[in-house]
Formats: sequence, structure tokens, C-alpha cells
Amino acid sequence: MKRIDAVIRPSQLDEVKLRVTALGVTGLTVSEVRGFGRQKGHTETYRGSEYTVDFLPKIFVSIAVVEELVDPVVDAILEGARTGVIGDGKIFVTSLDEVIRIRTGERGPGAI
Amino acid sequence: MECAFARRTTRWTLQIVVALVFAQILCGPMSVALADQTQADPAGTATGDRSSAADAAGNPFVVPAPTDPSAPDYPKLKKDYDEFQAQAAREPLALKLADDVGHTRIATNFSWTLLTGYLVLFMQAGFALLTVGLVRKKNAGHLMMLNFAAYVFAFLAYYAIGYAFQFGAVAVNTAPANLGGAPTLNHFLIGSGQWGFLGGKGFFLSGPAYDASSNCLTLFEVVFMETAGYIIVGAICERITFWAFLLCELFIGGILYPISGCWAWGGGWLSQLGSSMHLGHGYVDFAGSSVVHSIGGFCAMALAIILGPRLGKYGADGKPRAFPASNIVFVVSGTFILLFGWMGFNPGSTLGATDLRISVVAVNTNLAAVAGSAAAMLLWYFMFGKPDITMACNGMLAGLVAITAPCAFVSPNSAVVIGVLAGVLVCLGVLFNERVLKIDDPCGAISVHGYCGWFGAVAVGIFADGTYGAGWNGVGAAAYLGKAGQGVTGLLHGDFTQFWVQLGGATLLAVYALGFTYIVFSLVNAWRSMRVTREVELSGLDVPEFGMLAYPEDAVEMLGPGSQAAQQRGA
Repeated sequence: MKRIDAVIRPSQLDEVKLRVTALGVTGLTVSEVRGFGRQKGHTETYRGSEYTVDFLPKIFVSIAVVEELVDPVVDAILEGARTGVIGDGKIFVTSLDEVIRIRTGERGPGAI
Repeated sequence: MECAFARRTTRWTLQIVVALVFAQILCGPMSVALADQTQADPAGTATGDRSSAADAAGNPFVVPAPTDPSAPDYPKLKKDYDEFQAQAAREPLALKLADDVGHTRIATNFSWTLLTGYLVLFMQAGFALLTVGLVRKKNAGHLMMLNFAAYVFAFLAYYAIGYAFQFGAVAVNTAPANLGGAPTLNHFLIGSGQWGFLGGKGFFLSGPAYDASSNCLTLFEVVFMETAGYIIVGAICERITFWAFLLCELFIGGILYPISGCWAWGGGWLSQLGSSMHLGHGYVDFAGSSVVHSIGGFCAMALAIILGPRLGKYGADGKPRAFPASNIVFVVSGTFILLFGWMGFNPGSTLGATDLRISVVAVNTNLAAVAGSAAAMLLWYFMFGKPDITMACNGMLAGLVAITAPCAFVSPNSAVVIGVLAGVLVCLGVLFNERVLKIDDPCGAISVHGYCGWFGAVAVGIFADGTYGAGWNGVGAAAYLGKAGQGVTGLLHGDFTQFWVQLGGATLLAVYALGFTYIVFSLVNAWRSMRVTREVELSGLDVPEFGMLAYPEDAVEMLGPGSQAAQQRGA
């Protein structure tokens, strides 16, 4: 089992969701987050005073999948989230030790 | 514990004694007022009779008896008077009809004045939205309470003493004839004749002020005072304690605003400089650029200086930092509500719908608003590459503030010029306060109301074209500058003295508001700090000052036990 985390543009969430669910992924958790990468922030003025927007709004998508689905899901995210402009985000893949469904107590890949 | 209780009781007793002494001092002028011969008319049945009937040009129906037999035109006046008397004796029905016309005329003006007063009252909502949109969310509840309490407490102070100070002698020199004249308000507490400094009748709106004509004026004027009262919120928010704010409001509603208001609007010395010193039409401020707005703006400036900037506003390098607005939607809707309310503020200041100049006033007011907004938007576009939404709104308010004094005396073209100049002035004023003076003014109140208010009053002396205001402040009723019907005239149309009295008067009022407030509240601040503690300011003022948040669902702790959600589950 693997966990795939992706930081993407808020505007690309729908594209990513459509492609990922089409692959048969049943669950997907998103959060609104702020952060910066190589892009850093940018400067704006408010009533004549400058301020920097360091932490840009992003969407954090978290998906747990079985091994066979890792590559198709990563490809789907790449396809859905890529605009080619700096600030498209990143994908992190980590291994997952255990998954437990709270309602039934079921464990392992069947709980995903 | 008992010891503390005893101390508190002693302190309360002392405070009550001081209050009683103060009330005693007020009772003096009140008894003078009550002993007066002129009868008040609380029912309103005797207000407006044949003496209020007039033709479209304002010529009265009743010909008054000439009083001075030595005057050169005495024989002619006497003849007119005798003819009128003979005609009246022949046609008693005409007199009855004239009584009815006079009463209807006053009733029309009452409706207009009261309705426009309600519009001005609604500006309170506009100010609340505008300012709450410009501050950070953590202080939103505190700021709404400031706006709310401003109305409540300043009103009470104005009712108790403010109205009497401002209009207690209005009938002496500048009786509001459109509203029946309020003849019972005829006594200066300090000064007399053309050199009145403080009105002295109508304390607690009782006795001479318990009168239909006077109360119509009260409703209209109290909402103007409130405008000055909540202007200060924009400059002192996010850091002032509630008790200190209440003192500020009592001070503005009871003392600061009424004193200068008496000078300019209550028949006081500034308004009479035309009659007494031959300076134009005296100090002219149609609807209160200076009397209301610059008084509020410069009072706000003094308070902002005393309080100091918000924590973190200026970095270690002394450069100002931005605290972006929390809700632009509120800012823009608040500005539109203010624009709408201003349609009462300026046209209503004729105190009468029978004065048809109201249409010109309304058009001028709108023109200056859009011109000011356009100027601010474009200037910001040019200076910073993007137009700032909050500055566009400030530009509209700047145009409105600046046209408030000259709106009745200038042409639409001049209104546009005044609006553009105000729109530029407000931008430069905001930058000047923030970068040079380093006064922290979260909503731009000092620049919008202080600087542009001052400019508006001066603009009367520059742009007034003489088409309106013949006989204003008792000057030039027959002819002015050698021309019959010539009204208030500015520099560009040939009256230099008007310019000087406007420049001097507006500057005096600005210095008065700044200086008086600074002295009084420096003493208060030395006695006890008017500013909240550092911890309170950092956490937001809502909970420390009032025990509740403006937006409780934003806070994580509200999701725990005792939250709305938990209560719904029955937890």
C-alpha cells in the first residue's frame, strides 16, 4: 500500500479529481493549505504600503492506494495538475504500513 | 474585601457629588431659559402661519411694521405697511388663506428635513460596514461596538448639553426660517449679539427646546453630530479601550462639536464676520465640510497621535507595513450606503424642500463623488500600477466631504474640479500620514475627513459663483457687490474677502479640534492609559473587551464542548 500526497493549484482540483476517480480510486482527502516552494511569494501594495504574499494558497490531496494503482494515479495527477507554469506543485509517494476502517475494524488493502 | 468595598463606595459617593454639582451649574441657564417670555410650541399647531407664507423668491406675504423712523426709506416702508394693513382689513379671508399657506410651507419643509435626517442616520450603517471591512477580523466585534456605542452615547451627550451649546441662540442671528424659526432659542451663554461664543438655551431639550420647530432641527442636527462622532472610529480602532472611547464620544457630542458648531451654524461669531467685520458673507459652510468632517477628522488625528500606531504597523526600519482589509465587499457596500446617505446630508441642509436649489445641491454632490473616486483610482493606477479598491472608496468619500461645504454655491463644473482635487488630496494625505507623519490611521479618516474637510470649506471661498445665498448670514439681502440677488461669491468670481474668511475659519476649526482634543485626552491618557495592553492587542480586542468574537465559528475552541454543534447534539 502507498500513500500519494500532492500539493496542487486550487484551480486544478477538479481536473485531478475527475482523472483519479476514473481510475477506480474510492477515497480522496483534500485540505486547503498555504506554502511556498521554489516559486516563493510576490509583492503587492495595500494603501501605499508594500506587503509580501509568502504563502500561496494550494490544495493538498491525499490518496491511499494499492501498489498496482500507484503509477496510474501519479500519471493522472501529473496530467490533471500540470499547467507548465511555475507553481504547479509536487507529488510525494510514501509507503503505508496499515489502513484500518473505523466502522468495521477491517485492516489491510481491503480497508482502502 | 470589605476594605475594597468601602473604598469603592466612597469613590461612588464622590462621583455622585461631582455629578450633582455639575447638574447645578447647568440648572442656572435652564432657569433663565424657563423664565423666558417667548412661548414654545410643543404641539406644533402654532408653528407656521401667515408670517411664513412667501413667494418663490422668498418675499414674505406679511409686510412688517417699520421700526426705525430715522431710516432714509422710512416713508416708503411706512406706506407699504399701511397699504398692507388696509388690504388685510378688507380681505380677512386672504389672511386665513395665508395662515394655511404658511403652515403648509413649514410642514413641507419639516417632512423634507426629517426625511433627509433619516438618510443621514443611515450613514451610520455605511460607516460601520466601511470601517469593519478595513480592519482585521480579530477586531471586528470591537469595531462594530464602537460604531454602535458612538451613536448611543454621543446622542445622550448632545441631548443633555450639546444641542443647547450649539443652537441655544440660533434665533438671534440665523433663525431657521424654513422650519418656523425656532424663536425660543435666543440666548447666548457666552457672548451676545454678533459675538456669540456658546448657546445657552435648551438643555435636556426641555423648556424652550421642547418645541416642534426646535425638535425638527434637533433631529437633523444630532445625526450630523453623530457623523463627527463616528469619523474618529476609523483612526483609533484596533487599539483603544472601550471606556476611553466612551469618554471621547461624550466629549465630542457634548463639548467639542457643539462649541465650534455654535460659531459657524448657531449664529455665533464666525458666521457673523460678514455683518460685524465686512468679511464676505461671514464664514460659510453649507452642510459641514469643516463643521462636521474636519472637526471629526482632526479630533481623530489628535487621538491617533496620543494612542500611537498599532503593534507591528512600523517595522524596525521605520517603514510602514500593510494590514490588508479583511472584507472588501463590506468596504464597497459601506461606501455606497454613505453616498446614498449623503443625498440627505447635503440637499437636506437647505432645511426645506421649498428651497428648490436642492436639485443643484444633489447633482453637485454626486458629481464630486464620482470625480473624486475617478481621480483617486487613476492616480493610484499611475503611482502603483494597480488601482486600490479601498483608495477608490476613500476617493469617493473625499469628493463627498469636500463638496459638502460648497455644494449649494457652485456650478456642476466647479463640483467636478473640487471632486478631482479632493481625490488627489486624499491619496497624498494617506501617504503623507503613513510615511512622513507616521500616524497610524487604519481607515484613512484623517485624510478623508480632516484634510478634505478643510479643503472643502476653503473651496467655498474659491469657487462660489454668487448665484445662491443672497442674504446668507444676514449679509447683502438687498444687494451684494453692487448687484441685487448676488449670493455667496468666491475668489474666482470677484470676492476676495470671502476667500480669506474661509481660509482663516477652516484653519481655525482644524487647529481648534486638533489642539483641544490633544490637550484633553493627553491628560486622560496620563491619568490612565487609553490603549489596550500588548497581549490584548495581539489576541484581538473582541474577547478581552466584550467577551465574544464577531465570527466565533472561525475559532477552533468553539468546536469543543459547549460549542453550538455540541449543544445541538445535546452534549
